[in-house]
Amino acid sequence: MILLENLTKILGGKAILNGLDLQIATGETLVLLGRSGTGKSVTLRHIVGLMTPDSGRVEVLGKEISGHSEEELKFVRSKVGYLFQDGALLNWLTVEENVALPLKEFGKTPTSEINDRVQEVLKEVELDFHGDKFPSEISGGMRKRAGLARALISRPEIVLHDEPTSGLDPISSSIINGLVNRLKSSGITQVLVTHDMHSAFEVADRIALLHEGKIRSLGNVEEIRNSADEAVQQFLDGKIKGPLTQGAIDGVCDSEENGNEAT
Amino acid sequence: MTGWIQALGGFLGRSAETTGYGLVLLARTILSLPHLFSRRRLRDCLDLCFTYCLGSFTVTAVVALFTGMILALNGGDSLASLGQENLIGRIVAISMIREMGPFMTALILTASLGSGIAAEIGTMRVSEEIDALRIMSISPIRFLVLPRLVALTLITPVMTIFAGFIGILGASIVAANNFGVTWIAFSNDALENLSTGDVYIGLIKSVVFGITIATVGATQGLLTKGGATGVGEAARRAVVITFLLVIIQGYYLSWVYLA
Ligand SMILES: Nc1ncnc2c1ncn2[C@@H]1O[C@H](COP(=O)(O)OP(=O)(O)O)[C@@H](O)[C@H]1O
Ligand SMILES: [Mg+2]
Repeated sequence: MILLENLTKILGGKAILNGLDLQIATGETLVLLGRSGTGKSVTLRHIVGLMTPDSGRVEVLGKEISGHSEEELKFVRSKVGYLFQDGALLNWLTVEENVALPLKEFGKTPTSEINDRVQEVLKEVELDFHGDKFPSEISGGMRKRAGLARALISRPEIVLHDEPTSGLDPISSSIINGLVNRLKSSGITQVLVTHDMHSAFEVADRIALLHEGKIRSLGNVEEIRNSADEAVQQFLDGKIKGPLTQGAIDGVCDSEENGNEAT
Repeated sequence: MTGWIQALGGFLGRSAETTGYGLVLLARTILSLPHLFSRRRLRDCLDLCFTYCLGSFTVTAVVALFTGMILALNGGDSLASLGQENLIGRIVAISMIREMGPFMTALILTASLGSGIAAEIGTMRVSEEIDALRIMSISPIRFLVLPRLVALTLITPVMTIFAGFIGILGASIVAANNFGVTWIAFSNDALENLSTGDVYIGLIKSVVFGITIATVGATQGLLTKGGATGVGEAARRAVVITFLLVIIQGYYLSWVYLA
């Protein structure tokens, strides 16, 4: 379904991805963990061709996509929904108009059908009473859900979530986790980037830890919980010292700064 | 010393890259012109024309009025010492229509609209809205750049003509009040000496300026990097680069016209 093979990507003179291998099966929900700035968003971007790898292969729905033009990527993109960190809604359109945009721009669906579909997905993300508001008038969590509604409107087979619960209160997070689980039970393949361990354990089929441009550890929830990998245990416990922060305290401050910029 | 040369080299390299990007963007936007004739794009474009006119109307009027008055005051002063104040009309009309009107309007629209386009598209870039459009297979060129480019190409000449009128009006007030040139004498002198060529070159300039303002604004917006600071930087660059291009283009267009 999604196949990342030996991906390398150099950004700003640094190998952000460095021989990354990852396979995600149809219907699976994979959670990608990693410190800020390790390249989680960069990995997601490769899956939809927003970035092209310097070397390696990206295959989505049985199609090789690396190095293809925007026109050729249309097919894959029509099957993929992408939830960006802050929803990435257009601020001059209302929530409804934002959600309807993918269907409206191509003008093939009749307006009444679009409206029904918009109401349907807004209900799914529990925003059916906020359709007429502008993005600036709703909370961050609602913007994320609106972004998810927009991603769902064209009935994707794959949904990619970039930090769907970051910056949200626990209740908003639970709503999102519930949504992810509902998509999961309807057979949608999902990749979810997060720092939120609670959320990861609640939704994941498998969990992968990204470190130094590679998948450092991969396993189902139990395997990751009981992992013997020090890096995994460090991440789960949030310990300052360990394999993820080699190079002592300097390294910690350094990557924290990077992280803010990158996220 | 070598650091200095390296910095210069880096700057030139980046400038060449940006220029290339801008020219390709302009070409691709022009090639996407047929897409303007969909109901949604046409509506976007008309909305923008309206917003742009409304947003720059007052400042253009005030600046044009005073530019005309300044031209008349200075021209009149020199001409009066030769006893030729009846020539104020042509001096003001020609410089206003051929040079000052298009130039001044371009500067105003750069500062208000060009920087706005850079900031708007730049914000969309850093908040991943441009990426979101690409994933929905909505071309940012058709969706964002095309309506802005067309709107600016249309409203820059309109605002230029408007500025020309207001400027000449301001000048005629000064001519009458300060130099005793009647309104009739002023406008006769202006109209008799203004050729259609002068009007055309003014309009051609304004169209070129409009295209430049939109293209540079969109280029800087799309190339924005690094959060809110990046957006401010994009807007600043859009203004500086457009100013430089407008003054250089203005000179060469006048030069071709007068040759
Ligand atoms: N377009 C880009 N140009 C240069 N550097 C980038 C770009 N995108 C991301 N990076 C860098 O790549 C690293 C990983 O970024 P990202 O994938 O966003 O991290 P995260 O794991 O927090 O999502 C960061 O150090 C970031 O600065
Ligand atoms: Mg990220």
